[in-house]
Amino acid sequence: MTTTEGLDPAFVDDATVVVDDVSVWFGQKVALSELSCSFGPGVTGLLGPNGAGKTTLMRAMCGLIPPRRGHVTVLGHDPRGHRDVQSRVALVPEEDAVPEALTARQLVRYQATLNGVTDADAVERSLAEVSLTDVADRRLGGFSKGMRQRAKVAAALVTDPEVLVLDEPLNGADPVQRVALIELFQALGAAGRTVVVSSHVLHEVERLAARVIVVVHGRLAAAGGHRAIRDAMADRPRRVLLRSDDDRRLATGLLGLDQVVAVELAEAGVTISTGNAGELALALPRLSRQLDVRLREVRALDASLDSVFADLTSR
Amino acid sequence: MTSPAALRPTGSPLRRFPALVAYVPRACLPGRRLAVLALPCATILASGLLSRALDDTARDAFAQVAGLGIFGLAMPLGTLVIGDAVLGAEVRSGTLGFTWLTPVRFWELALARWLGGWLIALVTLVPCAAVAAVLAGASGLIGPVVVATAAGAAAHIALFVLIGAITRRAAIWSLAIVFVIERLLGAVLSGIAQLSPTWQGRAAFAGLGDLGVLARSGIPEGWDAVVRLGLITVVCLAFATVGLRRLQLTGARD
Repeated sequence: MTTTEGLDPAFVDDATVVVDDVSVWFGQKVALSELSCSFGPGVTGLLGPNGAGKTTLMRAMCGLIPPRRGHVTVLGHDPRGHRDVQSRVALVPEEDAVPEALTARQLVRYQATLNGVTDADAVERSLAEVSLTDVADRRLGGFSKGMRQRAKVAAALVTDPEVLVLDEPLNGADPVQRVALIELFQALGAAGRTVVVSSHVLHEVERLAARVIVVVHGRLAAAGGHRAIRDAMADRPRRVLLRSDDDRRLATGLLGLDQVVAVELAEAGVTISTGNAGELALALPRLSRQLDVRLREVRALDASLDSVFADLTSR
Repeated sequence: MTSPAALRPTGSPLRRFPALVAYVPRACLPGRRLAVLALPCATILASGLLSRALDDTARDAFAQVAGLGIFGLAMPLGTLVIGDAVLGAEVRSGTLGFTWLTPVRFWELALARWLGGWLIALVTLVPCAAVAAVLAGASGLIGPVVVATAAGAAAHIALFVLIGAITRRAAIWSLAIVFVIERLLGAVLSGIAQLSPTWQGRAAFAGLGDLGVLARSGIPEGWDAVVRLGLITVVCLAFATVGLRRLQLTGARD
Protein backbone atom coordinates (compact mmCIF):
# COMPACT_ATOMS: atom_id res chain seq x y z
CA MET A 1 0.00 0.00 0.00
CA THR A 2 1.37 3.39 -0.90
CA THR A 3 0.01 6.55 0.56
CA THR A 4 -0.57 9.36 -1.85
CA GLU A 5 2.77 11.17 -1.74
CA GLY A 6 2.57 14.74 -0.63
CA LEU A 7 -1.16 14.56 -0.30
CA ASP A 8 -3.56 13.72 2.51
CA PRO A 9 -2.36 10.61 4.39
CA ALA A 10 -6.00 9.51 4.63
CA PHE A 11 -5.75 8.41 1.00
CA VAL A 12 -3.73 5.77 -0.81
CA ASP A 13 -2.77 5.50 -4.46
CA ASP A 14 -3.86 1.94 -5.06
CA ALA A 15 -7.21 2.16 -3.29
CA THR A 16 -9.60 -0.75 -3.34
CA VAL A 17 -12.11 0.91 -1.00
CA VAL A 18 -12.91 4.58 -1.36
CA VAL A 19 -14.99 6.46 1.17
CA ASP A 20 -15.96 9.77 -0.36
CA ASP A 21 -17.51 12.49 1.81
CA VAL A 22 -19.71 9.97 3.59
CA SER A 23 -22.28 11.00 6.17
CA VAL A 24 -24.56 8.60 8.01
CA TRP A 25 -27.08 9.49 10.63
CA PHE A 26 -29.78 7.65 12.53
CA GLY A 27 -32.54 10.01 13.53
CA GLN A 28 -30.88 12.82 15.46
CA LYS A 29 -27.65 10.92 15.96
CA VAL A 30 -24.86 11.61 13.49
CA ALA A 31 -22.71 8.48 13.19
CA LEU A 32 -20.41 9.62 10.36
CA SER A 33 -19.89 13.17 9.20
CA GLU A 34 -18.35 14.06 5.84
CA LEU A 35 -15.72 11.38 6.20
CA SER A 36 -13.33 10.76 3.33
CA CYS A 37 -10.51 8.25 3.21
CA SER A 38 -9.41 5.24 1.24
CA PHE A 39 -7.98 1.81 1.86
CA GLY A 40 -5.62 -0.26 -0.23
CA PRO A 41 -3.72 -3.55 -0.09
CA GLY A 42 -2.09 -4.20 3.27
CA VAL A 43 -3.39 -3.85 6.81
CA THR A 44 -4.97 -0.57 7.84
CA GLY A 45 -5.98 0.04 11.43
CA LEU A 46 -9.20 1.89 12.14
CA LEU A 47 -8.80 3.44 15.55
CA GLY A 48 -11.28 5.33 17.67
CA PRO A 49 -13.00 5.29 21.03
CA ASN A 50 -16.24 3.40 21.56
CA GLY A 51 -19.07 5.11 19.72
CA ALA A 52 -16.72 6.95 17.37
CA GLY A 53 -18.36 5.56 14.24
CA LYS A 54 -15.91 2.78 13.37
CA THR A 55 -18.59 0.11 13.13
CA THR A 56 -20.86 2.35 11.07
CA LEU A 57 -17.97 3.11 8.71
CA MET A 58 -17.19 -0.59 8.33
CA ARG A 59 -20.82 -1.44 7.72
CA ALA A 60 -21.08 1.32 5.14
CA MET A 61 -17.92 0.01 3.47
CA CYS A 62 -19.56 -3.40 3.10
CA GLY A 63 -22.90 -2.04 1.97
CA LEU A 64 -24.88 -2.97 5.07
CA ILE A 65 -25.70 0.70 5.67
CA PRO A 66 -26.32 3.14 2.81
CA PRO A 67 -24.60 6.52 3.23
CA ARG A 68 -27.11 9.34 3.60
CA ARG A 69 -24.62 11.52 1.77
CA GLY A 70 -21.47 10.69 -0.18
CA HIS A 71 -20.39 7.44 -1.77
CA VAL A 72 -18.56 4.25 -0.96
CA THR A 73 -16.98 2.20 -3.71
CA VAL A 74 -15.41 -1.21 -3.30
CA LEU A 75 -13.26 -2.37 -6.22
CA GLY A 76 -14.89 0.39 -8.21
CA HIS A 77 -18.47 -0.72 -7.50
CA ASP A 78 -21.22 0.39 -5.14
CA PRO A 79 -21.39 -2.44 -2.59
CA ARG A 80 -25.16 -2.02 -2.17
CA GLY A 81 -26.01 -1.82 -5.83
CA HIS A 82 -23.73 -4.54 -7.13
CA ARG A 83 -24.41 -7.84 -5.40
CA ASP A 84 -21.46 -9.64 -7.01
CA VAL A 85 -19.06 -7.33 -5.11
CA GLN A 86 -20.12 -9.18 -1.98
CA SER A 87 -18.20 -12.27 -3.10
CA ARG A 88 -14.97 -10.25 -2.83
CA VAL A 89 -15.70 -8.47 0.44
CA ALA A 90 -16.01 -10.08 3.84
CA LEU A 91 -16.97 -8.54 7.15
CA VAL A 92 -16.27 -9.98 10.57
CA PRO A 93 -18.76 -8.08 12.73
CA GLU A 94 -17.94 -7.16 16.30
CA GLU A 95 -21.27 -8.16 17.75
CA ASP A 96 -21.51 -11.55 19.33
CA ALA A 97 -24.51 -12.68 17.27
CA VAL A 98 -24.02 -15.93 15.38
CA PRO A 99 -26.54 -18.53 14.21
CA GLU A 100 -26.24 -20.46 17.45
CA ALA A 101 -27.82 -23.66 16.21
CA LEU A 102 -25.21 -24.08 13.48
CA THR A 103 -21.86 -25.74 13.96
CA ALA A 104 -18.73 -23.84 12.97
CA ARG A 105 -18.30 -26.12 9.97
CA GLN A 106 -21.91 -25.55 8.85
CA LEU A 107 -21.48 -21.77 9.06
CA VAL A 108 -18.27 -21.82 7.04
CA ARG A 109 -19.74 -24.23 4.48
CA TYR A 110 -22.86 -22.04 4.20
CA GLN A 111 -20.68 -19.04 3.37
CA ALA A 112 -18.67 -21.08 0.87
CA THR A 113 -21.80 -22.29 -0.92
CA LEU A 114 -23.47 -18.89 -1.10
CA ASN A 115 -20.28 -17.31 -2.45
CA GLY A 116 -19.80 -19.96 -5.12
CA VAL A 117 -16.55 -21.31 -3.67
CA THR A 118 -15.65 -24.39 -5.69
CA ASP A 119 -12.47 -25.40 -3.88
CA ALA A 120 -13.48 -28.51 -1.94
CA ASP A 121 -10.76 -28.00 0.69
CA ALA A 122 -11.53 -24.35 1.35
CA VAL A 123 -13.80 -25.03 4.34
CA GLU A 124 -11.30 -27.23 6.17
CA ARG A 125 -8.45 -24.86 5.35
CA SER A 126 -10.31 -21.86 6.77
CA LEU A 127 -11.18 -23.72 9.94
CA ALA A 128 -7.56 -24.81 10.31
CA GLU A 129 -6.30 -21.25 9.83
CA VAL A 130 -8.16 -20.15 12.95
CA SER A 131 -7.44 -23.39 14.86
CA LEU A 132 -11.06 -24.50 15.04
CA THR A 133 -10.77 -27.85 13.28
CA ASP A 134 -11.08 -29.85 16.50
CA VAL A 135 -14.30 -28.14 17.56
CA ALA A 136 -15.75 -27.54 14.10
CA ASP A 137 -18.72 -29.81 14.72
CA ARG A 138 -19.74 -28.11 17.95
CA ARG A 139 -22.61 -25.67 17.86
CA LEU A 140 -21.70 -22.00 17.85
CA GLY A 141 -24.10 -21.44 20.76
CA GLY A 142 -21.68 -23.31 23.00
CA PHE A 143 -18.64 -21.32 21.87
CA SER A 144 -16.87 -18.68 23.93
CA LYS A 145 -16.72 -15.14 22.58
CA GLY A 146 -13.21 -15.68 21.28
CA MET A 147 -14.16 -18.93 19.54
CA ARG A 148 -17.18 -17.29 17.93
CA GLN A 149 -14.97 -14.52 16.70
CA ARG A 150 -12.62 -17.06 15.15
CA ALA A 151 -15.54 -18.91 13.56
CA LYS A 152 -16.63 -15.63 11.97
CA VAL A 153 -13.08 -15.07 10.73
CA ALA A 154 -13.09 -18.58 9.21
CA ALA A 155 -16.44 -17.85 7.53
CA ALA A 156 -14.91 -14.68 6.09
CA LEU A 157 -11.68 -16.35 4.94
CA VAL A 158 -13.40 -19.20 3.12
CA THR A 159 -14.44 -16.85 0.32
CA ASP A 160 -10.83 -15.73 -0.20
CA PRO A 161 -11.94 -12.09 -0.06
CA GLU A 162 -10.00 -9.29 -1.68
CA VAL A 163 -11.26 -6.87 0.96
CA LEU A 164 -11.47 -8.12 4.55
CA VAL A 165 -13.13 -5.86 7.11
CA LEU A 166 -12.65 -6.89 10.72
CA ASP A 167 -14.51 -5.11 13.49
CA GLU A 168 -12.63 -5.59 16.77
CA PRO A 169 -11.60 -9.14 15.76
CA LEU A 170 -9.36 -9.69 18.78
CA ASN A 171 -12.14 -9.20 21.32
CA GLY A 172 -12.37 -12.20 23.59
CA ALA A 173 -9.30 -13.90 22.13
CA ASP A 174 -6.71 -15.22 24.57
CA PRO A 175 -3.08 -14.04 24.21
CA VAL A 176 -2.00 -17.03 22.11
CA GLN A 177 -4.97 -16.63 19.77
CA ARG A 178 -4.29 -12.91 19.52
CA VAL A 179 -0.78 -13.51 18.29
CA ALA A 180 -1.99 -16.12 15.79
CA LEU A 181 -4.78 -13.86 14.48
CA ILE A 182 -2.46 -10.87 14.19
CA GLU A 183 0.02 -12.97 12.19
CA LEU A 184 -2.83 -14.23 10.01
CA PHE A 185 -4.10 -10.72 9.25
CA GLN A 186 -0.58 -9.49 8.55
CA ALA A 187 0.01 -12.41 6.18
CA LEU A 188 -3.21 -11.57 4.34
CA GLY A 189 -2.13 -7.95 4.06
CA ALA A 190 1.31 -8.97 2.82
CA ALA A 191 -0.37 -11.16 0.21
CA GLY A 192 -2.02 -8.09 -1.27
CA ARG A 193 -5.40 -8.26 0.43
CA THR A 194 -7.00 -5.09 1.73
CA VAL A 195 -7.40 -5.73 5.44
CA VAL A 196 -9.15 -3.14 7.60
CA VAL A 197 -9.05 -3.83 11.33
CA SER A 198 -10.81 -1.71 13.90
CA SER A 199 -9.88 -1.39 17.53
CA HIS A 200 -10.09 1.07 20.37
CA VAL A 201 -6.74 -0.14 21.70
CA LEU A 202 -3.83 1.78 20.26
CA HIS A 203 -1.07 -0.71 20.93
CA GLU A 204 -3.14 -3.48 19.36
CA VAL A 205 -3.49 -1.49 16.16
CA GLU A 206 0.22 -0.68 16.27
CA ARG A 207 1.06 -4.37 16.22
CA LEU A 208 -1.33 -5.02 13.37
CA ALA A 209 -1.16 -2.15 10.98
CA ALA A 210 1.45 0.12 9.46
CA ARG A 211 -1.20 2.65 8.56
CA VAL A 212 -3.85 3.99 10.89
CA ILE A 213 -7.06 5.95 10.34
CA VAL A 214 -8.36 7.61 13.51
CA VAL A 215 -12.09 8.33 13.70
CA VAL A 216 -13.62 10.36 16.50
CA HIS A 217 -17.22 11.56 16.74
CA GLY A 218 -17.83 10.29 13.21
CA ARG A 219 -15.08 12.45 11.74
CA LEU A 220 -11.61 11.71 10.49
CA ALA A 221 -9.30 12.81 13.31
CA ALA A 222 -5.93 11.67 12.02
CA ALA A 223 -4.36 9.37 9.48
CA GLY A 224 -0.93 8.03 8.68
CA GLY A 225 1.70 5.77 10.15
CA HIS A 226 1.19 4.73 13.75
CA ARG A 227 4.38 6.54 14.77
CA ALA A 228 2.90 9.80 13.59
CA ILE A 229 -0.35 9.05 15.41
CA ARG A 230 1.48 8.21 18.63
CA ASP A 231 3.70 11.29 18.36
CA ALA A 232 0.57 13.36 17.96
CA MET A 233 -0.80 11.79 21.11
CA ALA A 234 2.40 11.87 23.16
CA ASP A 235 2.92 15.63 23.45
CA ARG A 236 -0.53 16.33 24.81
CA PRO A 237 -0.83 17.47 28.44
CA ARG A 238 -1.79 14.70 30.84
CA ARG A 239 -3.23 14.74 34.32
CA VAL A 240 -1.73 12.56 37.02
CA LEU A 241 -2.95 11.91 40.55
CA LEU A 242 -0.27 11.51 43.23
CA ARG A 243 -0.89 10.34 46.78
CA SER A 244 1.81 10.39 49.44
CA ASP A 245 2.28 10.52 53.18
CA ASP A 246 2.69 14.34 52.96
CA ASP A 247 0.69 15.71 50.02
CA ARG A 248 1.21 19.36 50.94
CA ARG A 249 4.97 19.05 50.97
CA LEU A 250 4.91 17.07 47.75
CA ALA A 251 2.76 19.72 46.05
CA THR A 252 5.23 22.41 46.99
CA GLY A 253 8.11 20.39 45.58
CA LEU A 254 6.23 19.63 42.37
CA LEU A 255 5.84 23.34 41.65
CA GLY A 256 9.59 23.46 41.08
CA LEU A 257 9.61 20.79 38.37
CA ASP A 258 9.84 21.96 34.75
CA GLN A 259 7.65 19.07 33.58
CA VAL A 260 4.72 20.16 35.73
CA VAL A 261 2.31 22.65 34.22
CA ALA A 262 -0.22 22.89 37.08
CA VAL A 263 -0.63 21.55 40.60
CA GLU A 264 -3.87 21.11 42.48
CA LEU A 265 -3.98 19.99 46.10
CA ALA A 266 -7.13 18.22 47.20
CA GLU A 267 -8.26 15.74 49.81
CA ALA A 268 -7.82 12.83 47.38
CA GLY A 269 -4.20 13.79 46.72
CA VAL A 270 -2.20 16.03 44.43
CA THR A 271 -3.39 16.38 40.86
CA ILE A 272 -0.83 17.66 38.38
CA SER A 273 -0.84 18.45 34.69
CA THR A 274 2.28 17.59 32.74
CA GLY A 275 3.38 18.19 29.20
CA ASN A 276 5.97 15.45 29.35
CA ALA A 277 4.87 12.31 31.14
CA GLY A 278 8.07 10.44 30.31
CA GLU A 279 10.41 12.94 31.99
CA LEU A 280 8.01 13.31 34.91
CA ALA A 281 8.25 9.57 35.53
CA LEU A 282 12.02 9.96 35.96
CA ALA A 283 11.82 13.14 38.03
CA LEU A 284 9.24 11.95 40.53
CA PRO A 285 11.36 9.36 42.39
CA ARG A 286 14.21 11.90 42.67
CA LEU A 287 11.87 14.51 44.08
CA SER A 288 10.38 11.98 46.48
CA ARG A 289 13.84 11.18 47.87
CA GLN A 290 14.82 14.85 48.09
CA LEU A 291 11.67 15.76 50.02
CA ASP A 292 11.71 12.53 52.05
CA VAL A 293 8.11 11.94 51.02
CA ARG A 294 6.81 8.45 50.47
CA LEU A 295 4.73 8.07 47.26
CA ARG A 296 1.72 5.80 47.75
CA GLU A 297 0.01 6.10 44.38
CA VAL A 298 0.80 7.50 40.95
CA ARG A 299 -2.17 7.23 38.61
CA ALA A 300 -2.84 8.73 35.18
CA LEU A 301 -6.30 10.28 35.29
CA ASP A 302 -6.85 10.56 31.57
CA ALA A 303 -4.98 7.61 30.18
CA SER A 304 -8.06 6.32 28.42
CA LEU A 305 -8.09 6.59 24.67
CA ASP A 306 -11.25 8.64 24.83
CA SER A 307 -9.37 11.56 26.30
CA VAL A 308 -6.50 11.10 23.88
CA PHE A 309 -8.92 11.10 20.97
CA ALA A 310 -10.75 14.08 22.39
CA ASP A 311 -7.46 15.91 22.50
CA LEU A 312 -6.64 14.95 18.94
CA THR A 313 -9.97 16.21 17.67
CA SER A 314 -9.77 19.47 19.58
CA ARG A 315 -6.68 20.51 17.60
CA MET B 1 -8.51 4.03 -7.83
CA THR B 2 -9.19 3.12 -10.89
CA SER B 3 -11.69 1.56 -13.06
CA PRO B 4 -14.16 -0.94 -11.67
CA ALA B 5 -12.60 -4.34 -11.20
CA ALA B 6 -13.97 -7.35 -13.04
CA LEU B 7 -15.86 -9.55 -10.61
CA ARG B 8 -15.39 -13.28 -10.45
CA PRO B 9 -18.32 -15.66 -11.06
CA THR B 10 -20.41 -16.12 -7.93
CA GLY B 11 -21.91 -19.52 -8.57
CA SER B 12 -25.26 -20.69 -9.78
CA PRO B 13 -28.47 -19.78 -7.96
CA LEU B 14 -29.45 -23.44 -8.35
CA ARG B 15 -26.53 -24.39 -6.10
CA ARG B 16 -27.14 -21.58 -3.62
CA PHE B 17 -30.88 -21.96 -3.28
CA PRO B 18 -30.97 -25.36 -1.51
CA ALA B 19 -28.38 -24.05 0.97
CA LEU B 20 -30.48 -20.96 1.59
CA VAL B 21 -33.61 -23.04 2.22
CA ALA B 22 -31.79 -25.60 4.37
CA TYR B 23 -30.44 -22.77 6.54
CA VAL B 24 -33.96 -21.95 7.75
CA PRO B 25 -34.78 -25.11 9.75
CA ARG B 26 -31.13 -25.49 10.80
CA ALA B 27 -30.45 -21.98 12.03
CA CYS B 28 -33.67 -19.98 12.36
CA LEU B 29 -35.69 -22.19 14.68
CA PRO B 30 -33.75 -22.88 17.86
CA GLY B 31 -35.25 -25.06 20.58
CA ARG B 32 -37.00 -22.19 22.37
CA ARG B 33 -38.86 -21.14 19.26
CA LEU B 34 -39.85 -24.71 18.47
CA ALA B 35 -41.25 -24.96 21.99
CA VAL B 36 -43.32 -21.84 21.34
CA LEU B 37 -44.50 -23.35 18.04
CA ALA B 38 -45.78 -26.34 20.00
CA LEU B 39 -48.50 -24.13 21.53
CA PRO B 40 -50.38 -23.35 18.30
CA CYS B 41 -49.93 -26.98 17.27
CA ALA B 42 -51.53 -28.04 20.55
CA THR B 43 -54.31 -25.49 20.01
CA ILE B 44 -55.08 -27.01 16.60
CA LEU B 45 -55.26 -30.50 18.10
CA ALA B 46 -57.42 -29.22 20.95
CA SER B 47 -59.79 -27.71 18.40
CA GLY B 48 -60.49 -31.20 17.10
CA LEU B 49 -61.28 -32.47 20.57
CA LEU B 50 -63.31 -29.40 21.55
CA SER B 51 -65.58 -29.76 18.56
CA ARG B 52 -66.84 -33.02 20.07
CA ALA B 53 -68.32 -30.99 22.91
CA LEU B 54 -70.63 -29.10 20.53
CA ASP B 55 -74.16 -30.31 20.10
CA ASP B 56 -74.03 -30.49 16.31
CA THR B 57 -72.98 -32.85 13.54
CA ALA B 58 -69.27 -33.68 13.65
CA ARG B 59 -68.79 -31.91 10.33
CA ASP B 60 -70.46 -28.64 11.33
CA ALA B 61 -69.02 -28.73 14.84
CA PHE B 62 -65.47 -29.09 13.51
CA ALA B 63 -66.15 -26.37 10.92
CA GLN B 64 -67.21 -23.90 13.63
CA VAL B 65 -64.32 -24.70 15.99
CA ALA B 66 -61.77 -24.76 13.16
CA GLY B 67 -63.03 -21.41 11.86
CA LEU B 68 -62.22 -19.83 15.22
CA GLY B 69 -59.48 -21.98 16.70
CA ILE B 70 -57.43 -23.03 13.68
CA PHE B 71 -57.90 -20.27 11.10
CA GLY B 72 -58.64 -17.44 13.52
CA LEU B 73 -56.01 -18.16 16.17
CA ALA B 74 -53.59 -21.06 15.86
CA MET B 75 -52.63 -20.65 12.21
CA PRO B 76 -51.88 -16.90 12.42
CA LEU B 77 -49.92 -17.34 15.65
CA GLY B 78 -48.08 -20.45 14.46
CA THR B 79 -47.10 -18.82 11.19
CA LEU B 80 -46.12 -15.66 13.09
CA VAL B 81 -43.69 -17.71 15.19
CA ILE B 82 -42.23 -19.22 12.01
CA GLY B 83 -42.44 -16.11 9.82
CA ASP B 84 -40.74 -13.89 12.39
CA ALA B 85 -38.01 -16.49 12.95
CA VAL B 86 -37.06 -16.78 9.30
CA LEU B 87 -36.27 -13.08 8.80
CA GLY B 88 -37.36 -10.56 11.44
CA ALA B 89 -35.54 -12.29 14.30
CA GLU B 90 -32.37 -12.51 12.19
CA VAL B 91 -32.53 -8.78 11.42
CA ARG B 92 -32.96 -8.00 15.12
CA SER B 93 -30.18 -10.30 16.31
CA GLY B 94 -27.75 -9.21 13.62
CA THR B 95 -27.25 -12.65 12.08
CA LEU B 96 -28.87 -11.77 8.74
CA GLY B 97 -25.55 -10.20 7.76
CA PHE B 98 -24.11 -13.67 7.24
CA THR B 99 -26.53 -14.12 4.34
CA TRP B 100 -26.97 -10.51 3.24
CA LEU B 101 -23.22 -10.07 2.72
CA THR B 102 -23.09 -12.65 -0.06
CA PRO B 103 -23.85 -12.40 -3.78
CA VAL B 104 -27.30 -13.93 -3.15
CA ARG B 105 -29.98 -11.93 -4.95
CA PHE B 106 -32.64 -10.38 -2.77
CA TRP B 107 -35.45 -12.27 -4.50
CA GLU B 108 -33.60 -15.52 -3.81
CA LEU B 109 -33.26 -14.57 -0.17
CA ALA B 110 -36.95 -13.65 0.22
CA LEU B 111 -38.12 -16.74 -1.65
CA ALA B 112 -35.81 -19.11 0.22
CA ARG B 113 -36.75 -17.74 3.63
CA TRP B 114 -40.45 -18.03 2.76
CA LEU B 115 -40.06 -21.54 1.35
CA GLY B 116 -38.07 -22.71 4.36
CA GLY B 117 -40.71 -21.29 6.68
CA TRP B 118 -43.56 -22.77 4.68
CA LEU B 119 -41.93 -26.21 4.71
CA ILE B 120 -41.77 -25.97 8.49
CA ALA B 121 -45.47 -25.09 8.58
CA LEU B 122 -46.20 -28.03 6.28
CA VAL B 123 -44.62 -30.48 8.72
CA THR B 124 -46.00 -28.92 11.90
CA LEU B 125 -49.24 -26.96 11.57
CA VAL B 126 -50.73 -28.76 8.56
CA PRO B 127 -50.46 -32.33 9.92
CA CYS B 128 -51.93 -31.12 13.20
CA ALA B 129 -54.91 -29.73 11.28
CA ALA B 130 -55.41 -33.11 9.60
CA VAL B 131 -55.20 -34.91 12.94
CA ALA B 132 -57.66 -32.41 14.43
CA ALA B 133 -60.21 -33.33 11.73
CA VAL B 134 -59.75 -37.00 12.62
CA LEU B 135 -60.09 -36.27 16.34
CA ALA B 136 -63.28 -34.35 15.61
CA GLY B 137 -64.71 -37.32 13.77
CA ALA B 138 -64.84 -35.30 10.55
CA SER B 139 -62.45 -37.30 8.40
CA GLY B 140 -64.20 -36.00 5.30
CA LEU B 141 -62.79 -32.55 6.04
CA ILE B 142 -59.15 -33.65 6.12
CA GLY B 143 -58.56 -32.58 2.50
CA PRO B 144 -60.18 -29.14 2.83
CA VAL B 145 -58.52 -28.34 6.16
CA VAL B 146 -55.09 -29.45 4.87
CA VAL B 147 -55.33 -27.41 1.65
CA ALA B 148 -56.74 -24.35 3.43
CA THR B 149 -54.15 -24.48 6.23
CA ALA B 150 -51.28 -24.95 3.79
CA ALA B 151 -52.43 -22.09 1.55
CA GLY B 152 -53.20 -19.83 4.51
CA ALA B 153 -49.81 -20.59 6.07
CA ALA B 154 -48.08 -19.77 2.77
CA ALA B 155 -49.70 -16.33 2.60
CA HIS B 156 -49.21 -15.61 6.29
CA ILE B 157 -45.52 -16.51 6.25
CA ALA B 158 -44.99 -14.36 3.14
CA LEU B 159 -46.70 -11.48 4.97
CA PHE B 160 -44.44 -11.93 8.01
CA VAL B 161 -41.34 -12.18 5.78
CA LEU B 162 -42.40 -8.85 4.26
CA ILE B 163 -42.84 -7.29 7.70
CA GLY B 164 -39.41 -8.62 8.74
CA ALA B 165 -37.86 -7.02 5.67
CA ILE B 166 -39.27 -3.56 6.28
CA THR B 167 -39.25 -3.07 10.04
CA ARG B 168 -37.03 -3.98 12.95
CA ARG B 169 -40.01 -4.51 15.27
CA ALA B 170 -41.38 -7.29 13.11
CA ALA B 171 -42.95 -9.35 15.92
CA ILE B 172 -44.93 -6.39 17.29
CA TRP B 173 -46.12 -5.27 13.86
CA SER B 174 -47.04 -8.83 12.95
CA LEU B 175 -49.16 -9.20 16.10
CA ALA B 176 -50.82 -5.85 15.43
CA ILE B 177 -51.66 -6.86 11.86
CA VAL B 178 -53.08 -10.23 12.92
CA PHE B 179 -55.21 -8.98 15.79
CA VAL B 180 -56.09 -5.40 14.88
CA ILE B 181 -56.27 -5.44 11.10
CA GLU B 182 -57.16 -9.04 10.31
CA ARG B 183 -59.25 -10.08 13.31
CA LEU B 184 -60.89 -6.78 14.21
CA LEU B 185 -61.19 -4.79 11.01
CA GLY B 186 -61.36 -7.88 8.79
CA ALA B 187 -64.38 -9.11 10.77
CA VAL B 188 -66.45 -6.10 9.72
CA LEU B 189 -64.85 -4.92 6.47
CA SER B 190 -64.94 -7.46 3.67
CA GLY B 191 -62.44 -5.38 1.70
CA ILE B 192 -59.82 -6.17 4.34
CA ALA B 193 -61.01 -9.77 4.66
CA GLN B 194 -60.37 -10.24 0.95
CA LEU B 195 -56.69 -9.45 1.53
CA SER B 196 -56.42 -11.26 4.86
CA PRO B 197 -54.73 -14.67 4.97
CA THR B 198 -56.79 -15.44 8.08
CA TRP B 199 -60.14 -14.82 6.40
CA GLN B 200 -59.11 -16.23 3.04
CA GLY B 201 -57.83 -19.40 4.69
CA ARG B 202 -61.14 -19.76 6.47
CA ALA B 203 -63.02 -19.09 3.21
CA ALA B 204 -60.92 -21.68 1.38
CA PHE B 205 -61.83 -24.22 4.05
CA ALA B 206 -65.51 -23.27 3.90
CA GLY B 207 -65.67 -23.52 0.11
CA LEU B 208 -63.64 -26.70 -0.28
CA GLY B 209 -65.58 -28.42 2.50
CA ASP B 210 -68.93 -26.99 1.35
CA LEU B 211 -69.50 -25.68 4.86
CA GLY B 212 -72.41 -23.31 4.92
CA VAL B 213 -71.85 -22.47 8.60
CA LEU B 214 -68.61 -20.66 7.67
CA ALA B 215 -69.96 -18.91 4.59
CA ARG B 216 -69.28 -15.20 4.40
CA SER B 217 -70.54 -13.02 1.61
CA GLY B 218 -68.23 -10.69 -0.25
CA ILE B 219 -65.07 -12.79 -0.29
CA PRO B 220 -64.06 -15.62 -2.63
CA GLU B 221 -64.32 -19.19 -1.33
CA GLY B 222 -62.85 -22.60 -2.08
CA TRP B 223 -60.24 -22.74 -4.84
CA ASP B 224 -60.85 -19.08 -5.62
CA ALA B 225 -59.69 -18.29 -2.10
CA VAL B 226 -56.66 -20.58 -2.55
CA VAL B 227 -55.74 -18.64 -5.71
CA ARG B 228 -56.23 -15.38 -3.78
CA LEU B 229 -53.88 -16.67 -1.07
CA GLY B 230 -51.34 -17.51 -3.75
CA LEU B 231 -51.56 -13.98 -5.09
CA ILE B 232 -51.14 -12.51 -1.63
CA THR B 233 -48.02 -14.70 -1.24
CA VAL B 234 -46.50 -13.52 -4.51
CA VAL B 235 -47.21 -9.84 -3.85
CA CYS B 236 -45.82 -10.02 -0.31
CA LEU B 237 -42.63 -11.70 -1.54
CA ALA B 238 -42.22 -9.09 -4.27
CA PHE B 239 -42.46 -6.29 -1.71
CA ALA B 240 -40.18 -8.23 0.65
CA THR B 241 -37.55 -8.28 -2.10
CA VAL B 242 -37.77 -4.50 -2.34
CA GLY B 243 -37.63 -4.27 1.46
CA LEU B 244 -34.46 -6.38 1.59
CA ARG B 245 -32.85 -4.17 -1.03
CA ARG B 246 -33.47 -1.13 1.17
CA LEU B 247 -32.72 -2.81 4.46
CA GLN B 248 -30.19 -1.15 6.77
CA LEU B 249 -28.37 -3.71 8.86
CA THR B 250 -27.16 -1.51 11.64
CA GLY B 251 -26.47 -4.39 14.01
CA ALA B 252 -28.11 -5.79 17.09
CA ARG B 253 -26.90 -3.01 19.42
CA ASP B 254 -28.34 -0.09 17.47
